[in-house]
Amino acid sequence: VTPNEKTEQTAAQWVAREDRGLRPGEDAVLSAWLEEATGNRLAYLRLRTSWENSARLAALQNSPRFCDSTLARRGWGRLALAAVLAVAVLGGGALYYLARQDQQVVYATRLGERPTLRLSDGTRIQLNTDTAVRASITPATRTVTLEKGEAYFEVVHDASRPFTVLAGNRRITDLGTKFSVRRDGDKVTVVVKEGRVRVDTLTSAPIPVAPVYAEGGHVVLAKADEMLVAPKSEKDLSDDLSWRNGMLVFNQKTLADAADEFNRYNNKRIVVSGAARDIRIGGSFRADNIEVFAQLVRNALGLKVTETNGQIDISQ
Amino acid sequence: VIVSLHAVDRQSVDQWFVTEVLPLEQALMRFLRRNWRDHAEIADLRQEIYVRVYEAAHRERPHPLKPFLFQTGRNLMIDRLRQSNVVKIETMDDIGWLDVLDADPGPEQRVAARQELRRMQAALDELPPRCREVIVLRRVHGFSQREVAAKMGIKEETVENQVVKGMRMLAAATSDRRGSLIAGARRFLRSKD
Repeated sequence: VTPNEKTEQTAAQWVAREDRGLRPGEDAVLSAWLEEATGNRLAYLRLRTSWENSARLAALQNSPRFCDSTLARRGWGRLALAAVLAVAVLGGGALYYLARQDQQVVYATRLGERPTLRLSDGTRIQLNTDTAVRASITPATRTVTLEKGEAYFEVVHDASRPFTVLAGNRRITDLGTKFSVRRDGDKVTVVVKEGRVRVDTLTSAPIPVAPVYAEGGHVVLAKADEMLVAPKSEKDLSDDLSWRNGMLVFNQKTLADAADEFNRYNNKRIVVSGAARDIRIGGSFRADNIEVFAQLVRNALGLKVTETNGQIDISQ
Repeated sequence: VIVSLHAVDRQSVDQWFVTEVLPLEQALMRFLRRNWRDHAEIADLRQEIYVRVYEAAHRERPHPLKPFLFQTGRNLMIDRLRQSNVVKIETMDDIGWLDVLDADPGPEQRVAARQELRRMQAALDELPPRCREVIVLRRVHGFSQREVAAKMGIKEETVENQVVKGMRMLAAATSDRRGSLIAGARRFLRSKD
């Protein structure tokens, strides 16, 4: 411990004592300590200032993320207060957080979480793992920005107040519908379950890209300037949305792609190497149970599966 | 250089230190981190610079402050390198010239409140779980230390100790984001062992 660290520790102790209220006699000891050396005084001033500044954290009071555990145990009743949008949480004990940024509200999930939010207009948004959205609901507009990850929207249609989702350089406008939007970097996937959406490309180019329309049972794949609309069977559609129940459904997916999917949901990573990457598999799995997946791969495909340091390696 | 010649009492120097010098801490830490190899010594350097600047301010308030602060840092680093006896002259010439010359008052003077809140929130999340719980109850929810102790079912003394710890970590993290990220990564790696 350096002398400076000792000084800082003592200074912090004094600020903490002041924070609980000094006891009789303590203020004299404090004054003497402050007189002892300029270094003492400055370490004290620095920490006291920083501690006073931390009072700003009170701004997070209504954020569920900082909900104290006693409140959390009582249930989520208090959370509704948090949101300027009067958001209610439907998804049980799902963990997500919310913080005000300007006039907007930010929601984000950690790995493996998939809570459902309900906006004051009745619209429901289910967030998938590792997702962040920004919502801005005003009397005239409803805009949700998908910063990253994936979300499923059940929009209550309101012709006078369009509902739009911004994802990268795409704008998805709801025309009365249920759909999901997934963002992987600049690639945006829109799965339309019911109704109709319009997808615009936001560009600064002089020639605007024509919007595409997609109806229920279709998927829109957008990357760079390209957009593809493709029909999907009922089964494919429900597979794409199976994450909403915590499941991953694969149909003829390569092992490498399947591993990428699992890795979106878990801290423990799956790494597939060599020829095993191209083996195609199908099946449905719990997104949070990669051990079961690894066992199946070992038993059914006869691949080598080893686990070290929280990583599962699969090879032939 | 504007010099105030009249004697200043300590309280007003304290005030000056809090309102003028401390807001430059982030910039100072970046400057030190770029120019001093042993990062474990940086908090120590910072403290020594503060002492020098504070004592100088009793004679006259340095103005403009930021170049003076960096220059003081530079002199201190050169002193230390001289003492260590193992340094080539070129190293000394390299220290922080660009920063000193480029030291305009800068926007760091007033970090937007929102940005600071975000920074603090990030710092809060890096605290160890128990410490974080104490700080959240005390600072976010505004319970007194005594109430925090009662809520968590721990001794008041423990709460006080956690406040000490949390306060130091918050101060370090808000003044030195990069340093605290590195420390956080180290903690994370250790916890993986």
